[in-house]
Amino acid sequence: MSDARNAILQNIRTANGALPPASEIEAAAAALIENPGDLRPSFSDQDNRSRFVEKATSERVTATVSEVAHLRDVPEAVKAYLAQASVPLQVALQPRGALTELNWDGIKTHSAPSPNEPAAVSIADLAVAETGSVVFLSAPDAPVLMNFLPLHHIVVVSAELIHRHLEDVFAIVGKAQQDQPRNLSIVTGTSGTADIEAKNIRGAHGPRFMHLIICQKVT
Amino acid sequence: MKQTSQHFTQNVKAALADPTLKIALNRTTGLLQRRRAQVIEEFAEYGAARAAAEKIKDHTLDNLGHYLEQFEANAAAAGATVHWARTPKEATDIVADICKAEGARTATRVKSMLGEEIGIPEALARAGVERIETDLAEHIIQLAEDPPSHIVMPAMHKTHEQVADLFREKHKVPSNSDEIAALVESARRELRPKFLDADVGISGANFLIADTGSIVTVTNEGNAELTVTPPKTHIVTVGIEKIVPSMEHCAVFLRLLSRAAIGAEITQYTTFYNGPKRTGDADGPENMHIVLVDNHRTEMLSDFLRPMLRCIRCGACMNHCPVYAAVGGHAYGAVYPGPMGSVLTPAMAGLKNSKDLPNACTLNGRCKEVCPVNIPLTDMLRSLRARQFDGKLVTPVTRSALVVWGWLVRRPGLYHLSTALAVLAMRIWSMNRGRIRRFPMAGGWTGSRDLPQPGRGTFMQQYGRRKQK
Repeated sequence: MSDARNAILQNIRTANGALPPASEIEAAAAALIENPGDLRPSFSDQDNRSRFVEKATSERVTATVSEVAHLRDVPEAVKAYLAQASVPLQVALQPRGALTELNWDGIKTHSAPSPNEPAAVSIADLAVAETGSVVFLSAPDAPVLMNFLPLHHIVVVSAELIHRHLEDVFAIVGKAQQDQPRNLSIVTGTSGTADIEAKNIRGAHGPRFMHLIICQKVT
Repeated sequence: MKQTSQHFTQNVKAALADPTLKIALNRTTGLLQRRRAQVIEEFAEYGAARAAAEKIKDHTLDNLGHYLEQFEANAAAAGATVHWARTPKEATDIVADICKAEGARTATRVKSMLGEEIGIPEALARAGVERIETDLAEHIIQLAEDPPSHIVMPAMHKTHEQVADLFREKHKVPSNSDEIAALVESARRELRPKFLDADVGISGANFLIADTGSIVTVTNEGNAELTVTPPKTHIVTVGIEKIVPSMEHCAVFLRLLSRAAIGAEITQYTTFYNGPKRTGDADGPENMHIVLVDNHRTEMLSDFLRPMLRCIRCGACMNHCPVYAAVGGHAYGAVYPGPMGSVLTPAMAGLKNSKDLPNACTLNGRCKEVCPVNIPLTDMLRSLRARQFDGKLVTPVTRSALVVWGWLVRRPGLYHLSTALAVLAMRIWSMNRGRIRRFPMAGGWTGSRDLPQPGRGTFMQQYGRRKQK
């Protein structure tokens, strides 16, 4: 390949000396995070769901939460949220069968989010209790911009997909290169900025409001 | 940006004479310190996580060649094109060539200090590509035509009143209000269409993941995803030291970075990107290019500056530095200000052009204390001072003073006698008024504050008296 590549790698070899075998490097790397429990917040007094709700609704993350028993109850919860937030009954829907096949009577739906989309509904692929985050894996039925263009982002979270720590989410996605989605986004609340005088303001470029609908059973 | 570190003394004079700057710095640094302290206190495992992070970075640097080649192979497998650049010129030539090949007219950009380091703004201007900064702070300083003054909050030197005036002058539909929320809304209105129309999106990366080939961005605004998803081409420019072995190793750093930088448990948006758009995807770039940049980093590997390559660019050192809080980021005259900048700038631009920076430090050690990867910043600054002395970069007066002092401290009897005489002289001079207004050769100190009257005898004399009792 390029001269630059060879020169950089040669400089590194000169500085570092000969490398041990790859297996030894891997073993050393694994040993450094052998006990991940020692390196992350523990919340042994809380289950995943209560920690998730506590963090997601905290002063910093600012999401609101409602709960439904079944996926089929989601449209009613969406309607209630939009009414309470004084948003017209119109949403962009993540083009995912589980969502589009629901009965959306009374709400106008469309699939592609507009540049100034007032509200959109997505299903989170996973969630993290530790931080109150939802996780989106991009796919043909899960476009990335759906999570960034709307002003109100309504996210359906399946209770059994709330995992404890970030590492648990990574383990489920898979560790190898071929396991990765194009984008794995960990979203914690709404778009914010502290760029003017370090004051926290919501709705910088992405959503200003996040509403989580926790669903007991997805099927 | 144009480096002006060689004019540090003049820069500092100008900064200290600017009353608005003092207001802006006071409003921010204190707030950032309190937020960080609180979130670290709530994180019982912080000490263990910090120690592990230091070890992971050292392990990765020890095996840097292995991890970079692993990253390259995996990123290529995901469909990205990986480029290597030794110098800022090589890196920006690669970026400009991609823009030309794509016929790009506009490029949106996510804040990246590496991008500033290698001069992406200037390179885009030369290539005739309109640059649109999307991070709110970068948008502010682009409109104001200012260089960044902080690595996490580049517009820290601006008050909200100044931003309001700027937006009124430059935005299409500015807000009537000076409220910060209204200013944020005005920027959102101004930038939203530009995100969606850009030809190229340029980002940096907070991390590179070796075993998946992912690049990771961390933002609060969500501007990274909005910048790199709509355009046809995504270009990443990133320093080679940003690599970590795996996503699990990255988790350790994600927890530390957001806590140290902004006092949050996690930033709002953390995204791992793996190559360009795939079959059936509704959005995403068609091409993804990753430019791995050296720019003196491999030199630092074989130098006492090696621990500096652990840096994750959180900005905590500058938020806690009394010199930074007094003069702000611009006085340093370089892309990286504050303690970490005073180490990096000499490494990247040469000690000769930045010789005041290692001396702009009280050695109080708070930077090292708050550093999430335990970089011995004060030790390195001290070593850089020694290198200046050895390289004859200090003024003749300083040099002779240090030589005399060095001669004296190697003769303890004489040293104690002369300090005792000095203390006595100062006590007589002060005439028991408790303070000294003026003193020969101490004008630099007494010009702005009094010297205290010394106690009765030197430390060693007082210590001796107590031991006798």
